[in-house]
Amino acid sequence: MLCNGAALKKRVLRKNYNTLKRFMLGRGLKRKLSDYEENMAGLSSAFDSSRNLPYPLKRQLVLNMCLTKLQTYKMLVEPNLHRSVLIANTVRQIQEEMRQESSQQPINVCSGIAPHPHSYPGIDSSGISLHLPSGSSQQESSCCNSWSAEGPIENSLLMVSDDDMSSAISSILKDLDFMEDISPPTSLIPAGDDEPLKSPENTCLKLEDDRQDLKGAECVFGSFEISNSTSYLKDLAIDDIFEDIDTSMYDSDFCSPLLMAPRPPSAATEETLKTFPSCNSPSTNNIPICRTDLSELDHIMEILVGS
Amino acid sequence: MFLKFSLRSIFYGAGGGGNDIQWCFSQVKGAVDDDVAEADIISTVEFNHSGELLATGDKGGRVVIFQQEQENKIQSLSRGEYNVYSTFQSHEPEFDYLKSLEIEEKINKIRWLPQKNAAQFLLSTNDKTIKLWKISERDKRPEGYNLKEEDGRYRDPSTVTTLRVPVFRPMDLMVEASPRRIFANAHTYHINSISINSDYETYLSADDLRINLWHLEITDRSFNIVDIKPANMEELTEVITAAEFHPNSCNTFVYSSSKGTIRLCDMRASALCDRHSKLFEEPEDPSNRSFFSEIISSISDVKFSHSGRYMMTRDYLSVKIWDLNMENRPVETYQVHEYLRSKLCSLYENDCIFDKFECCWNGSDSVVMTGSYNNFFRMFDRNTKRDITLEASRENNKPRTVLKPRKVCASGKRKKDEISVDSLDFNKKILHTAWHPKENIIAVATTNNLYIFQDKVN
Repeated sequence: MLCNGAALKKRVLRKNYNTLKRFMLGRGLKRKLSDYEENMAGLSSAFDSSRNLPYPLKRQLVLNMCLTKLQTYKMLVEPNLHRSVLIANTVRQIQEEMRQESSQQPINVCSGIAPHPHSYPGIDSSGISLHLPSGSSQQESSCCNSWSAEGPIENSLLMVSDDDMSSAISSILKDLDFMEDISPPTSLIPAGDDEPLKSPENTCLKLEDDRQDLKGAECVFGSFEISNSTSYLKDLAIDDIFEDIDTSMYDSDFCSPLLMAPRPPSAATEETLKTFPSCNSPSTNNIPICRTDLSELDHIMEILVGS
Repeated sequence: MFLKFSLRSIFYGAGGGGNDIQWCFSQVKGAVDDDVAEADIISTVEFNHSGELLATGDKGGRVVIFQQEQENKIQSLSRGEYNVYSTFQSHEPEFDYLKSLEIEEKINKIRWLPQKNAAQFLLSTNDKTIKLWKISERDKRPEGYNLKEEDGRYRDPSTVTTLRVPVFRPMDLMVEASPRRIFANAHTYHINSISINSDYETYLSADDLRINLWHLEITDRSFNIVDIKPANMEELTEVITAAEFHPNSCNTFVYSSSKGTIRLCDMRASALCDRHSKLFEEPEDPSNRSFFSEIISSISDVKFSHSGRYMMTRDYLSVKIWDLNMENRPVETYQVHEYLRSKLCSLYENDCIFDKFECCWNGSDSVVMTGSYNNFFRMFDRNTKRDITLEASRENNKPRTVLKPRKVCASGKRKKDEISVDSLDFNKKILHTAWHPKENIIAVATTNNLYIFQDKVN
């Protein structure tokens, strides 16, 4: 499977798009998205303008954008250190928040039980005090009912293992280090004498790392490993799930056997991942979907990412 | 509050008169066409200490210096116009062969030295190298050499029959810029600031992780005075964004960070100023918290007041004035474009959220100015607490036309003459502004044009 910045961008875009589309179609909203820039801008302006977007969805959108940016920067010859640090901090902050959430609430997969509003942020942690305006938490509780099936799915989707994300960020910063600084800091820096002996070794090691990085699906972050967790990035490696989501939207009979066979909550996160497509079709909401709108949007989407 | 304002309007007239400055268009420099050549993008603007000279640097590595005419001052119809005095190529693009990186020639900062003799000196820097330039005038030239023709060819000595003494004859004024010092190879990361010490002998240069102290006469060594690079780059969470020497205390300087903190350091305390003397930080407002809180708290510019008692910082949405004696919060906060707070995700997506706006004080430290989008710039009067939004646009380009205040409509019904947030042009940003040290003359840089505005002289 080809993995490069453009392909990753497409996947992230498609994922963002599908997430948002499901939400918006579930609300009876239509969006016309006519070209790539408008599409991305559409997502972020949807973030800005919509008060009804649930917090986890917003967070996921931001996280996707951050990761895309970091990946783009990684491919630049000379990434901007200031921006990279700011974005990496944002990613860490989101990761920390998700970890707090997941440690506070067990994952209920495909159950009809709505997660409680208090499981959404507003969580105070020692490191981060993230206090949302009270308005949003009220909205979350009101939309919690309709999100009953999808809430826990979203949570499980969003769960990223600590190690994976930390190693991802570490790898980016390490690469920045290589690119930028191969002279040791000294109190007296004589001009003209700037390359220490250790740099050739670093160069060799880093180049090899980089080559290996480019192979494989997890090329976004160098030392990222496939683990048993439902890591967000692992999703990207499995195209089939996306295909299933798209196809399912065309189905005329919504009572698909894929639906909602209630499964006992399972601690095995791999199963969570497998049940994701079946539980996450909008038909679980039993909201009639206009087929022409869907096909229009999907057609646009195909043009954007399929070609 | 409302009543006070009404009375004020009656006595002073809304928007003008009394103590309020009325800003008028004076000049605009630069190309007229909409197609902006990348090399013409202005990257820094700076008046010299007398205000007579105004320097700009651009992305193509050039420095253009304008000089104020002196004659019109007597007539006092308007203050003198600024005309081109000197243009020179300060930095060239370089290629770092070891790292396979191109080093941009874009001029990041220009700082003038105070004038000591007939010549002018300035420091200009790109990402890696700082240069000291001498700008001198030549208005006489020697004529009448014995062994040289006028065009410079050598004469055969055997053809010389008489001798004469060469004399200096007047010539058209020629302004020459020559590089006097080149301070190179001291910065691994990108230089974002230079600042000349009040001793006029040393200066500092700051990059993302380190600050170095130089002597103006010595180019082959510098002292590292701040180093925030962690032993393990994976632990890096903060970078240096700006640094400046105190205007009066030659041992004091400040540097700002991407986390919204400012550290004041005293060089007498230790050779390596890693431990600050003061840490200025405002606690976060929890009601404004968002995913982008840290990004918008990153300080893009820090400037001491002329008095040295205050300093001003610019972050993405606001300007803050700090009293050096109070570390826990700023004494004044001015919102530059609060209406953008609800658009942060879009601004993050198109990278505008990383734009680095600068700010400046007027000569008396009573008014501060900074730029915004749509070619708007904002001024805040610290005494009257009034603020004004003006636009740098060629549409108002009749000299002595008073600029009309602009207003952005955040939401709801848009009044006539207001602009809605969604119609702002985010490609037209004013990042660099400068205020004459003594008079009410300001230089405002749009993408590739330099506007000069003056207050209305009656």
